[in-house]
Amino acid sequence: MNTLTPLITLLIFPAGLTLILVGMFYEWVDRKLVARFQNRIGPRWFQPFADAVKLFAKEQITPAIVNPYLFFGLPVAALAGALTSALYVPLMGLTPASNFPGDLIVTIYLLSLPTMCVGLAGWNNSGRFSLIGATRTLTQLFAYEAPFLLALLGPALVAGSWQINTINRFTQDHWLILTQPVGFIVALIGLMGKLELPPFDAPEAETEIVAGALTEYSGRGLAMFKIGKSVELIVGLCLVASFYLGGLNGVPSFLFKTLILLLGMTMLQSLLTRLRIDQTVGLWWRFGAILVLAQLLVIILVKGFLP
Amino acid sequence: MNIEQTLKDAEQFLAPWCKETFHPEVNRLDVAIQVDDLRAAVGALLAARWGYLSAVTGTDLGIEVGQLEALYHFCNGPAITSLRIHLPRESDACLPSIADIIPSASFFERELQEMLGFAFSGSKVSERLFLPDDWPEKVYPLRADFSIEQAAPVAGRRADELPEQGVVGGNTFVIPIGPQHPALKEPGHFEFTVDGEIVTAAKMRLGYAHRGIEKAAESRNWIQNLYLFERICGICSHTHAMAYSLGVEKLAQVEAPPRAQAIRELIAGLERVHSHLLWLGVAAHEAGFDTLFMYSWRDRETVMNLLEQITGNRVNYSANVLGGVKCDIGAEQAKAVKEGLTYLETRIRHYLEVVTTDAMFLNRTRGIGTISRDEAEKFGLLGPTARASGLSRDVRLEAPYGAYHHFPVSLVMETNGDLEARCVVRLKELLVSCFTMRTIVDNLPEGPLTTRMPRKIPAGETVSRIEAPRGELFYYIKSKGGENPARVHIRTPSLCNWVSVLEKAVGHQLADVPMLIAGMDPCFSCNDRVVTVNRPSTNETWSWKQLREYGIEFYKR
Amino acid sequence: MNKNNEQFWKQIIKKVRTWARLNSIWAVHFNSGSCNGCDIEILATLTPRYDVERFGIKLEGSPRHADVLIVTGPVTRQARERLIRTYEQMPEPKFVISVGSCSISGGVFEGCYNVGGSVDEVIPVDVYIPGCPPRPEAIIDGIVQLLASLKGDEPRKMARPVNVEEIPA
Repeated sequence: MNTLTPLITLLIFPAGLTLILVGMFYEWVDRKLVARFQNRIGPRWFQPFADAVKLFAKEQITPAIVNPYLFFGLPVAALAGALTSALYVPLMGLTPASNFPGDLIVTIYLLSLPTMCVGLAGWNNSGRFSLIGATRTLTQLFAYEAPFLLALLGPALVAGSWQINTINRFTQDHWLILTQPVGFIVALIGLMGKLELPPFDAPEAETEIVAGALTEYSGRGLAMFKIGKSVELIVGLCLVASFYLGGLNGVPSFLFKTLILLLGMTMLQSLLTRLRIDQTVGLWWRFGAILVLAQLLVIILVKGFLP
Repeated sequence: MNIEQTLKDAEQFLAPWCKETFHPEVNRLDVAIQVDDLRAAVGALLAARWGYLSAVTGTDLGIEVGQLEALYHFCNGPAITSLRIHLPRESDACLPSIADIIPSASFFERELQEMLGFAFSGSKVSERLFLPDDWPEKVYPLRADFSIEQAAPVAGRRADELPEQGVVGGNTFVIPIGPQHPALKEPGHFEFTVDGEIVTAAKMRLGYAHRGIEKAAESRNWIQNLYLFERICGICSHTHAMAYSLGVEKLAQVEAPPRAQAIRELIAGLERVHSHLLWLGVAAHEAGFDTLFMYSWRDRETVMNLLEQITGNRVNYSANVLGGVKCDIGAEQAKAVKEGLTYLETRIRHYLEVVTTDAMFLNRTRGIGTISRDEAEKFGLLGPTARASGLSRDVRLEAPYGAYHHFPVSLVMETNGDLEARCVVRLKELLVSCFTMRTIVDNLPEGPLTTRMPRKIPAGETVSRIEAPRGELFYYIKSKGGENPARVHIRTPSLCNWVSVLEKAVGHQLADVPMLIAGMDPCFSCNDRVVTVNRPSTNETWSWKQLREYGIEFYKR
Repeated sequence: MNKNNEQFWKQIIKKVRTWARLNSIWAVHFNSGSCNGCDIEILATLTPRYDVERFGIKLEGSPRHADVLIVTGPVTRQARERLIRTYEQMPEPKFVISVGSCSISGGVFEGCYNVGGSVDEVIPVDVYIPGCPPRPEAIIDGIVQLLASLKGDEPRKMARPVNVEEIPA
């Protein structure tokens, strides 16, 4: 019995299969909302699922020049990274499947894993578009990663813990969006950068470099990267909601709060023009990072002087 | 200044080299000069700021005559001066290149070289740009004695040949764009050499959409050609058909009835709205602003409805016939057009506000790809691209044709010359068009729709210039009095605008390149010609072959 | 029993696969020398009035991601090689839709020195959509025809429309 429970948590509920399905649902919500904002009807509810099944059933072409181990391994690693990170967050508003002091750091790094994999995949393919895409993916990673991390540090400092579960319990009584609005905005926009959603989609800008790092991927590999991304979406939304929007303590609050966040994100997506990669980096380091640092400083000062 | 005076001036400037002059039409001066005098004569016209080089027409006069003819058309308002040069057909004689004085001439010269076998001294480009790579040497499709058997494919290096792997060699890295690329809905091939994200050299190869229409026109009769030319470009099909019909009518000395002229202008106006809204959407899509793309295309459907209601087709309307138009504007259509225009006007005003106030969009357009007035004149820009740089070039105003005498449009101009100005010019132009269209619908002249046209068109030659949505469209039509045209030469506006893109891309971010290309509203199928401009830079540009060899060497180590 | 079970699961998997294939069509667009008419009508199918995303149809940039190749225009000599290469880059199963009269027969450009003729002389075509240019509705209908032909066990090929001159007397 004891050996079975973690397996179930890992593979079926709340992580694993359920997570993937919920991820697809959120991807659909995202696409549907964007379509509605663009005056279109948008895809049907099972669209991401059909896309994924179709991709799995398709031929996978392996370019002659790639390292095959990397080519097959990277999508798996990306998906695995995203799924593992889900173990430490209060998914569906439930207690995280596993937690230990300091799991916040682990989660954030696990969340970066898919991006790293995409970068590596682009480098491994060494097609022209893939290489430029990979360069841009990694450049963008350096741009948003630090501000995003700092933005999540704020709640951690206030809660006095590096454990997501503890922070989540703390925030249930404190709506940190009210006291740390800058952190919230940076975290939300950082999440958009992480997911390469417009306006931060320069790494996969269709009109310049086709599909960026994933240009050469077809079939299964592509499907896994895509699923990895929707899992990342859920985990990211979950983190931001639990840190800033008064914590997550059940399925309704999870759905409500994350969907509100998603609505905000889709609005930004459909309202904004794609940023050039230099503009993205400039935005993060000139504004994002500095604002968050200033806020952190304030938090530290307040905490230090007002015990 | 009247046309006679303008032409007299030109005659005066050209007097030292002039061998013979005559006036093929009221507004045209034809000056025969010697080959060696070409550069001096062109220089004189330029120094006197007499117009701009609009097109260069090459014709094979036939085996019996044994001569090739080149016509350098300079336009100044409604006046046209053509420098006529004759070269023996089979000899090594060559024209002096004027590409160093007039950059856009390099395109025209390339065309003459590939299509008719003119040789140019002082022109360095040797790569093929226009005909397919497997085209045999020394076979020129527009020569009189060309037959399809001569053009059997030969083995040759393909310009767009890509090695299977990308190799990072040294500091340069070449990004191929096209012919199949999401940024281009039409085929064209570009090679941008980048250093990091900065473009250091640009190169292009067209000809993917080259179908050989000019040659095909010679074997089809006058009426069939109308439908052929309509299919040069699906976006500005009416303008092509209109330019052709106006030209042929001029040759036949027939004038379409006023009602037909007005309806032609009305449809041209609707087409301009459709084309510019389409362009706005594509430009927004290139910038990654898909919402604007969706909205402008949604509103474009209003125009498509109107066009369909009037002509029966959404694209390739076939509204023109020689000597008039096919479709009438009844009360019902008039009402629909006015309602549609009211809606469109509010939408266009809204888009005007978006492109001038949306901070994120301005990030991608303001100050990007700036072309000054002098540069615009040097590159020979046309249409909205030129008008955005403060260069007033609009055939509708300079040399009104058809109904534009009665229903004139006003000039829209901006001076900044960047992408934002190009957006603004196009949108404001639409407001002007909408206003004019409303006037036309309200004051449509009564009368028949067509006049009788002869089946055989009298011998002669004419130039027909009209303002397409993208700029000045130039038709040169020559008849020998038969059922087919002897030569039709088409110079489309995009061809003149290419130089600016390739020159301007250098130094910009890779991310700006699709915007730059879209900014001039290129039309590959219109062009169906080819050009390469390779600007030397500090970085070395390698051909694919060199790159591949380097790659193989690199990995052997 | 075991064998039956296996059969059953195979059936199910096949059904799911076909269902997914029918509901998720990613297309890549290739212009082999067309006049833009068809191309703008294809683009128009993406926009609010027609919005093919509601059927799961999406225009992709990379041929590697695509299921359907939409070809417009007569095949010019310069574009021919590129068309073949784009087709070869696509993963199986792949389908080709040829849009517009030119891509079916060369259209008005038949006999031009730089035009090779129809698309099906270069790559196998599954669906032909005639028209100059076909309306967006016709293009969507063409895709529906393709989907209908996929439903059966054996995808059936569509007959190519014939020119008047080709009909034997």
